[in-house]
Amino acid sequence: MSLFIRNYKLNSLAAGYNAKLWRLNSTTADSALKKNDEDEEEFRVLDILKKKDRIQRRIIRRTDMQPDRADRMAPNQNWGNVWPGPKTFHPSSVPLPLRQGYVPKGQAPPGKKANAELMKIPNFLHLTPPVIKSQCEAIKQYCTEWPSLLNSEEAIEKHYPVEIITSDYCHASPSIRNPLARIVTLRIKLSSLNLDKHSKDKFIRLVGDRYDKETDLVTITADRCPARAQNLDYVNYLLTACYHEAWNIEEWEKDKTEDDMEYYDWNNNASKKSLVNWHLRTKNELRTLTDEEYKSFDISVIEGGEEYKNAVSSLMNDGESDATLKKYGEAVRKVLGLPEKKVM
Amino acid sequence: MNTSMIRIAQLSFGSSGIIAKCSPVLASQIHTSAPLCRVVSGKYRITKKRDRPLTYEMANPPHYIAHRKSWNSWNTSSLKDGLRRSETVLEDEFIRRFMTGTWHGLVCSEVIIKRQFNHIRVAAIIRRAVSPTKMYFLLGYTEELLSNWIQCPVTLELQTVDSFKDVVFKYI
Repeated sequence: MSLFIRNYKLNSLAAGYNAKLWRLNSTTADSALKKNDEDEEEFRVLDILKKKDRIQRRIIRRTDMQPDRADRMAPNQNWGNVWPGPKTFHPSSVPLPLRQGYVPKGQAPPGKKANAELMKIPNFLHLTPPVIKSQCEAIKQYCTEWPSLLNSEEAIEKHYPVEIITSDYCHASPSIRNPLARIVTLRIKLSSLNLDKHSKDKFIRLVGDRYDKETDLVTITADRCPARAQNLDYVNYLLTACYHEAWNIEEWEKDKTEDDMEYYDWNNNASKKSLVNWHLRTKNELRTLTDEEYKSFDISVIEGGEEYKNAVSSLMNDGESDATLKKYGEAVRKVLGLPEKKVM
Repeated sequence: MNTSMIRIAQLSFGSSGIIAKCSPVLASQIHTSAPLCRVVSGKYRITKKRDRPLTYEMANPPHYIAHRKSWNSWNTSSLKDGLRRSETVLEDEFIRRFMTGTWHGLVCSEVIIKRQFNHIRVAAIIRRAVSPTKMYFLLGYTEELLSNWIQCPVTLELQTVDSFKDVVFKYI
């Protein structure tokens, strides 16, 4: 009960304050309050400036301006007909509530009308998914079927080993020429060429750093001629010339010594000689052999000889590492008939 | 430090004009004007009454290009290793001047020039202060003359507004 009374009192106080404040602040509110009380006793006011008439100004509507096209669009229309090609953004034909522009936090960005930012950015309104689909359908009749035999990357690589890489440039200028379009790159897997041991070695030496060991690809690039066709002819010529030169054996090539070898061949090296000598000495058959005899000596008669050969070859070819050294140690122990290393 | 150095240089050259006369090469190599370290281009001053109208383009200073506003010229010449850079810039400037002169007092925004292959698209916001008939005439006139001069198809893609107030972004 007490609570109710307090509330009531507060309300009445507040109302009193409100009324007072209003009266102090504005005379119009005061007069409005009075009007309700004594309406009939008010004098008519002479409106000299005719403010009432002035407010009711006629809004001039331009008759030569059509309403927005976007407002009259049916929802099931064909958008491709409205926006058939690339065009600058136009707000009256796009029925989307777009906004663009940076504004401080809490404000709405500028709308689509009279917005130059929307006109600047390239739009893709002409490339909606249904339009792309219909255009693809239209050009389908000019396409041919993919050859069924070329169904995998391997098949393509096998039938078309030579890869020609060129670039076409597309730019916004009246000329369609670009000097960079002349560059032609030819790529071929070395394994797809018909080369033997000697010619392969010679081919790699001829092409130099154009051969990538890891991917087995030979890449020849030509940009010295002004036209693409000339460069294309040139790379083909280079490949042909290198290939045939690789098959030629010159007189001076017979002077190739062990130092010129591109890899370590165990059969030609001193390691085999000492192994064979050691083997013959253990058999008490030591005799002097020629180089050819050393080279053609069959090491399968030596126990662990094959393993020793592989271990030495990998040590020389792949370089020293923990794995190759361990393998070498094991092979030596086997050849000499020593017990295996005990792992503590 | 900087200004004092320049003042010394000015004094020495001013008092004895002989050096400047005798060695014009030396004189021309020293800048004697006061350095303006503040960047003021593309920026607008706040007026006392805060009644200078700015469009969105003007409201964002040039260092906001690509952040808050985009470029007015779109072409591949401005890219790295782009072809015919100087020609493109000259043509764009010519188009801009021709547009503002032909549509005199009507262009409410910057003239936006976009190039696709050999096609030039010119976009702008135009005030509806002249009759549509005149506007159609100006449109055809501009396209025809520009494409004759530049030897490229030129398309005008205009948007119209009632008054300049429609493009005003804020008042400063």
